[in-house]
Amino acid sequence: MLLVEDLHAGYGASEVLTGTTLAVKQGTVVALIGANGAGKTTTMRAISGGIHPTKGRVVLDGKEVQGLDASAIARLGLAHSPEGRKVFGPLSVEDNLLLGAYSRLPRFLGYRAKASADLDRVYDLFPKLRERSGQAAGTLSGGEQQMLAIGRALMARPKVMLLDEPSMGLAPVIVQEVFRTISRLKAEGITLLLVEQFAKSALEVADYAYVMERGRIAVEGTPAELSRNERVIAAYLG
Amino acid sequence: MNAAIIGQMAISGALMGLVYALIAYGFQLTYATSKSINFGQGELVMLSAFFSLTLTNLGLSQHWGLGLSYGLMVPGGLIFGAIMGLVVERAGVRLALEQKSEGWILLSIILGLFFFSAAENIWGRDDRPFPTPIPEEPFHVLGLAIGPREVAVAVGVLGIMGLIELLKRKTLLGKAFEAVSADRDAAELMGISATRTVMLSYGLSGSVAALAGILVSPITTVGPTMASAIILKAFSVAVVAGLDSGFGVVLVGMFLGALESLASFYLGSGWREAPGLVLLILALALRPTGVFGKATIRKV
Repeated sequence: MLLVEDLHAGYGASEVLTGTTLAVKQGTVVALIGANGAGKTTTMRAISGGIHPTKGRVVLDGKEVQGLDASAIARLGLAHSPEGRKVFGPLSVEDNLLLGAYSRLPRFLGYRAKASADLDRVYDLFPKLRERSGQAAGTLSGGEQQMLAIGRALMARPKVMLLDEPSMGLAPVIVQEVFRTISRLKAEGITLLLVEQFAKSALEVADYAYVMERGRIAVEGTPAELSRNERVIAAYLG
Repeated sequence: MNAAIIGQMAISGALMGLVYALIAYGFQLTYATSKSINFGQGELVMLSAFFSLTLTNLGLSQHWGLGLSYGLMVPGGLIFGAIMGLVVERAGVRLALEQKSEGWILLSIILGLFFFSAAENIWGRDDRPFPTPIPEEPFHVLGLAIGPREVAVAVGVLGIMGLIELLKRKTLLGKAFEAVSADRDAAELMGISATRTVMLSYGLSGSVAALAGILVSPITTVGPTMASAIILKAFSVAVVAGLDSGFGVVLVGMFLGALESLASFYLGSGWREAPGLVLLILALALRPTGVFGKATIRKV
C-alpha cells in the first residue's frame, strides 16, 4: 500500500535521509524505531510531503506521490498524525475532527451531517473527546490532544496512516492507553506506519519493523526476529 | 464647548473611523493565513474606487438611473477588488513566502506604486465626485445630525465584516481558513491547500479594500491620492488593535475617527492627522502586540 524506495531528503544542505527503503502492506502495522536524530520523523515528513525528497520514490496505493504538496498527498488517502500532535489550538475539538475529513466533505454547509458517522466512530473510540467536543483543542491535556490527533487522522478514512511519536511527553498510563488504541485500530484492519521511541511497546503491536540508523534502514524484520537480534537488543530493548 | 457639538463630532468621526477599521481588517485577513500584508493596500482602495466610478458612469450613460447603476456597481467593484488582491498575492507575495523571505514587503510597495501610476495615466490626477443615490441631507436623532452616507459606511463595514466572520465560523471552508492560520503545516496534512487559503485571504482582503473605497468615495471624492492618508491611519488602527482581533479594529477605528474629528474641530484641521500618529507611536512604544492582540507586525 505504501512503498518508499531509496529516499533521500533533508533540510537545506544537510541530508538527513540517505537512501531509506521500506514498505507497508495493506492491513498491517509497521513500526519504525531508532535513536534520536536517526531520521524517523524526517522519513515521515518526506512521505507526507512536508519536505520534498531530493531523490527516490514514494508510492501510495500504486501512485507516485513524491514531490507533490502535502495537501495533495493527503487528498490521495494518506493521513499523517505529526510529531507534537499539532492540533489546531484555537478551534474546538469537533472542528479539529471535521477538518480531518476536509477532503471528503462539502466546503460550505451540511458537512457536519455528512461526517456524523465518522464523528461517532471517533467519539466511541475516545469518549473523552465527546465530553470535550465544544472545547478549544489547545485547552486539552497532552494525552487528550494525542487522542484528538489520532482521531483527526482517522476522520480522513485514510488508506495509510502515519503516526509519529504518539507517546511523546505523556505519562506511562496514558502511553498504555495510546497503545491499546493502536491495537484496537489494528484489529479493525488499519494500515499504519508507526514511529516510536518506546521500541518495546512498538514491537509488541507491530507486524513488521524497521530500525533506522543515520538516515537509512539498518535492520528489518518481524518483531520476533528483531527481539532476538543482539544489536537491536543492545541499542533499543535493553 | 457644549456636549451636543462634542457628541456630534465624535459620532460622525467614529462612523468614518470604521473605514480605517475595515482596511485594518483586510490586513488581519492576510496576516492570519500568511503572516504577510499588502503595503500597497491603499492603492487597491483607490484603484477599486476609480474602477467603480467608471462602472457607475457606464450605467448612467446607458440611462439606467443612479440607483440601478450604483447597485450593479457594488458587486462589480468587490469582484474587481478581489481580482486585484489575487494579483498582489501572485505577483508580490507568493514567491517571497515560498522562499521564506521578507521580499513581499518591498514587492507589495512596488506594486502599489505601479497601481498609482497606472491610475494617474488612466483616470488623470484630478479628484472627481462619486455619484451615489444615498442622500447627503442629514437626519436628526436625539438632537444629533447624522449623515446617511456615514450610516452607509457603518452598515457596509459592519455588514461585510459580519459576513466574513460568519463564513469563517460556520462553513468548513472558514474553519480551514482558521486551521491554516493556527498551523499551516498541520492544515496541509488535512488536505487543505495553504496556497489556496492564502489566495482566498488576499481575495477577501482586496474585496474589503474595494468596499472601503466605494463607501468612502462619495464623502471624500475619488483621486489617485485619496487613500494615502486613510491607509496610514488604517495601519495605526491595525498596530494599535493588534493583528488578530476583528472586534479590536472596530473599537480602535471608531475611537481614532472620533478623536480625529474632535482634534480638527478644536485644534484646527491641520491637526487632523495627529491623533493617528500619536496613537501609533504610543502603541509601538507601550504595547507592540496591540491592545487586543497577541501577534505583532514584524518591525521593518
